[in-house]
Amino acid sequence: MYPPKFGYVIPESMDEVLEFLEKEQDARPLAGGHSLIPMLKLRIIRPSYLVNIRGLKELHFVNDGKDTVSIGALVTHFELNTNDIINKNVPLLSEAASVVADPQVRNMGTIGGVVSNSDPAADYPASLIALDAIVRIRNRGGVRDVPFSSFQKDVFTTDLKQGELVQEIVIPKLPAYKYRYRKLERRAGDYAIVGVAVLIKMNGEEIEDVRIGLTSVGPKAIRAKEAEELLKGNKPSDELLDKAGEEAMKVSNPTADIRGSVEYKKKMVKVMTKRALKEALER
Amino acid sequence: MKVYTQNDKVKIKLKVNGEEQEVEVEPRRLLVHVLRDLGYTGVHVGCDTSNCGACTVILNGKSVKSCTLLAVEADGSEILTIEGMAKDGKLHPIQEAFWEKHGLQCGYCTPGMILQAYWFLKHNQNPTEQEIREGISGNLCRCTGYQNIVEAIKLAAEKIRQNPQEYLRLA
Repeated sequence: MYPPKFGYVIPESMDEVLEFLEKEQDARPLAGGHSLIPMLKLRIIRPSYLVNIRGLKELHFVNDGKDTVSIGALVTHFELNTNDIINKNVPLLSEAASVVADPQVRNMGTIGGVVSNSDPAADYPASLIALDAIVRIRNRGGVRDVPFSSFQKDVFTTDLKQGELVQEIVIPKLPAYKYRYRKLERRAGDYAIVGVAVLIKMNGEEIEDVRIGLTSVGPKAIRAKEAEELLKGNKPSDELLDKAGEEAMKVSNPTADIRGSVEYKKKMVKVMTKRALKEALER
Repeated sequence: MKVYTQNDKVKIKLKVNGEEQEVEVEPRRLLVHVLRDLGYTGVHVGCDTSNCGACTVILNGKSVKSCTLLAVEADGSEILTIEGMAKDGKLHPIQEAFWEKHGLQCGYCTPGMILQAYWFLKHNQNPTEQEIREGISGNLCRCTGYQNIVEAIKLAAEKIRQNPQEYLRLA
């Protein structure tokens, strides 16, 4: 399979990238390319130009702030999984990074690419929505911050406008939380059939706060709010976790595809939510 | 800023197994095809969809699937292919281990397996069996000879531990 013809741009600065993306309607930024190039080969997209942003050092960083960690758009899945700052402060995202596709893909693919592509079956969205992550978007006028929950609009659709680029993902530190990302996959390295990210804060024997993010259960990642409310203020028990799984199942709206029927996937939301909660609590 | 139109050719430089190469390519040309045209036919095209790993090469020290990389992206980089593993007629310890443990049947996936094993062993010279299996989870063997491949990588780890500086300096 060969990609269609396209022009190629090697920028020297962020300003050049933003200017080019703004004036050239069908130009696309190229980072890791591990969703973009397969889509080119399948002729799903036909960009006029690819702008190779991989050389931009200002998009490749991890900053340890006071209350947040900022992750540059060009940080790869391998780096997310092995970076000390992220391991220490956002272990949930590190864990999610360890199960994205396979090792070679993790060496190339970037968090900015995943977020911008907005694939409904991607791994990170479950964690990002549970973490209340902020997407910092750069345009010629400056930067604007959008909560991840409203950044993702629909299948492969985001809040990004012509001439805009994801600059970084800002994640609040949640030191007191237990965590778990649980992914159901039928084939090693595949997209999630169901992905569940869980964050739990305990107060003695009671659950003080809990966040449940679900991916691959609809057009975009969602929070299982009803399940969260059910758990808060209660002592975890097998029965309670079962009920929470059921609530998560109720809000999920998966589509049938090669990976399973709607009925199967909904049941798996229940199972995986319970497992994720249980394994987080055991940590 | 350099802007190439879709019909322009881009001049790129690659250092493959220590050999300087200079080629002109269309922006849409994939790295795997350029490498094969240069004679590095140990780089295989398998699934062509970044699933199977037969096209795996080491690019600037990282294992990548060269079917999912534009050749223009690799401009200025150093690449290791299977052709660069043996030195002076002597096989690399990973190659020896694949030979000794019969880690191949048809051999199609082997170059990709060996290069992925190289990258993996660079990061972990004392792997468990589970870690090895995860390490090559991006490489498919349709003869289903995984058991011997895993054994070969275990043996390769032993060989490499004896002299990691020597055996892991290729890329």
